[in-house]
Amino acid sequence: MNLLRKLWNNLHLFMALPAILLFGLFFIYPLAQGIGISLTDSNGMSAPRFVGLQNFIDFFHDARAKKDVYNTVFFAIGSAPLLNLFGFLYALILDRPFKGKGFVRAVVYLPAVISPLIMGYVWYFILQPDRGFLYHLLQSLHLGTGGSDWLGNAHSALIVLVFINVWQFVGMTMIIYLAGLQSIPKELYEAGEIDGAGYIKSLWYITIPMVVQSIKINVVTNIIGSLSVFEVIIALTDGGPGYSTESLSIYILRMLYGSFTGYSTAVAMILFVMIIIPVFIFMRYINKKEFEM
Amino acid sequence: MRRKKLGLLLSGVMMLGLLAGCGGKSADSPNPSSSAGMAQETAPKETVKLKFFTGKVETVDLMNTLIQKFNSENPGIEVEQEYQKDASNVIKVKFASGDIPDITTVVEQDYIDQGKYLDLSNEPFWPRVLPAVKELSTDVKSGKQYQVATNVTMAGIFYNKKIFQELGLKEALTWDDFKANLQAVKDKKPDVTPIFIAGRESWTLGHLIEFLAHGIIKQDLGVKSSREAFINNESDKLKFDQENGPIDTFAKRLLELQGAGLMNKDALTATYDNQKEAFATGKAAMISQGMWVVADLLKISPDFQNDIGFSPYPSIQDGTKPVVLSADDSRYAITAESKHPEEAKKFLEFLLQPENLKTYSEFLKSPPAFTDVTADWGPLKEQANQALNSGVNIAFTDSPSGFSGDDAGRMVQELLAGQYSASLDFAKAYKDAWDKAWKATHR
Repeated sequence: MNLLRKLWNNLHLFMALPAILLFGLFFIYPLAQGIGISLTDSNGMSAPRFVGLQNFIDFFHDARAKKDVYNTVFFAIGSAPLLNLFGFLYALILDRPFKGKGFVRAVVYLPAVISPLIMGYVWYFILQPDRGFLYHLLQSLHLGTGGSDWLGNAHSALIVLVFINVWQFVGMTMIIYLAGLQSIPKELYEAGEIDGAGYIKSLWYITIPMVVQSIKINVVTNIIGSLSVFEVIIALTDGGPGYSTESLSIYILRMLYGSFTGYSTAVAMILFVMIIIPVFIFMRYINKKEFEM
Repeated sequence: MRRKKLGLLLSGVMMLGLLAGCGGKSADSPNPSSSAGMAQETAPKETVKLKFFTGKVETVDLMNTLIQKFNSENPGIEVEQEYQKDASNVIKVKFASGDIPDITTVVEQDYIDQGKYLDLSNEPFWPRVLPAVKELSTDVKSGKQYQVATNVTMAGIFYNKKIFQELGLKEALTWDDFKANLQAVKDKKPDVTPIFIAGRESWTLGHLIEFLAHGIIKQDLGVKSSREAFINNESDKLKFDQENGPIDTFAKRLLELQGAGLMNKDALTATYDNQKEAFATGKAAMISQGMWVVADLLKISPDFQNDIGFSPYPSIQDGTKPVVLSADDSRYAITAESKHPEEAKKFLEFLLQPENLKTYSEFLKSPPAFTDVTADWGPLKEQANQALNSGVNIAFTDSPSGFSGDDAGRMVQELLAGQYSASLDFAKAYKDAWDKAWKATHR
């Protein structure tokens, strides 16, 4: 009797077992294997040899990898805050009642539905010098020749990439903020009004604290998404010219494609850590904040 | 709160898990026994499915029609085509993950060394193949044939005859004459791009290295010895990083053209399509391409046929001769791990039937590699012969699999984007990249 009750009380532990098994099989196991491979000089063909931390040491002496880290971080620092800022502003504006609200929201959200690859190619044709839409537009408006090769220059290409990414995914961020905004009870604002709070004050003391869950989701997904950026770069610049807009995830794939499987896996581990650290720092910070609120 | 953290952690690392998973498989791949088990599961007796893997974008449609014909003639076999843009790299992942095509156009020395292809030395078609092509199809190390080519292709400078006539220009065999021609176009026809570079596609830039820079090595050493030098990475013969060596000279020449404004402004972002379009519509006087481009040019403007001129690449270094690529093309190999080698051979035989070779050759506008095929392969027949006589004939380069033509092309992009302060830095970087990739598979 006692045993049976004990079993019943601990049933939830057994219920979790399948999930734990799957997690182990599809996550822990490949991860462990990945760590194993990252310690070898595997080329994907001949038998791998153990090289210890050599791949990780190589990474810190790899000029191309350094450049890729710079590109990736530049892209993330450019994208993530802008996405959140504009996503939030759009949400605030489009939360107000006005005619055609649904349509405007759809237009803002629309680019996020289309594959970043297709979007990238479309923008590629818009931005081409001499042939692109932008060139013809600027010319017909007599705004100079507009002939600069935006994507042929490493610095402008990175900025264009950030711009397109923000434009494309601002709708996604907006939708999550909108959901957050709509879950705020109207009574809070009414109470605030009675207490004499203006728009800015109620934004600061009511709206922002109440959408903290949306902030969390958005910031974390944007950090993860922008640090692992891949498609938009492939479509727009193919990492070029040369390697000047290559991101770490493209580098990982190219090394894997080449004969550097072990090294590629090591870089994947490093990218993993690069993503986890800011996410952890942010989560710690916001959870503490939330507690204070 | 804790549970949420875990969830976020998970989503964040999923991508890594996937990548790690990929790497994991590749380490196991040298073990061929893993595919033996799979053979039993996927062997329905009625239809055998053959996977044809190609990196040749220009033949995708043609192959589909040929495959259709083959499939209807051979009810027990069904061939499927898969095209990949970066095929020479993608096939590596395929080999590693056990998703192995039966027949492919991608042949790399590293994979030959790894025993990835079936020995075709004893197949009955060899007496029909041109001796020079057979030599290029022969593995330098083992002396066996693991690949067969259907065509000979050529690459060189394509020029617009009309513009040349108008300006009184002649085909250039030396670098100075070549530059003078480009300058003449620039001076007298400001609307026309002297030479149009399609630098967005890194393979076209990789070709420039393969033909112009390696062209010096290939003509110095001859066919066999240069193939051995590339395959065995004999750096004393390749002299990649030598001052005024092949790569250094190449880089200087390219920067000369860029500096003098003789190439298109958007050389780094223009696509292959842009290049074809510009040339076929008379907006560019010259391009560097291979015979594979002709069919598309005629598609863009059918009347262009009589205006296409073809000449060798000018010698880029004093004391060297002009070169023209004349090499085996449309290579096929059957993979050693194919579960249906007999059916794959049947498909290969079908492709090598004179009738189908003729279709292929006429479609590609390049001469057949088989002696029993007479094809009316195109308007450049005579000019091609002339070019072959006025330049040294060179073949494609056997690069290490980790340093493909795409990778080399990306370095040329860097060069054109001004990321090397000196041409010799480029040459050194090129040697480093080559050596690194070579060492990764030779240890």
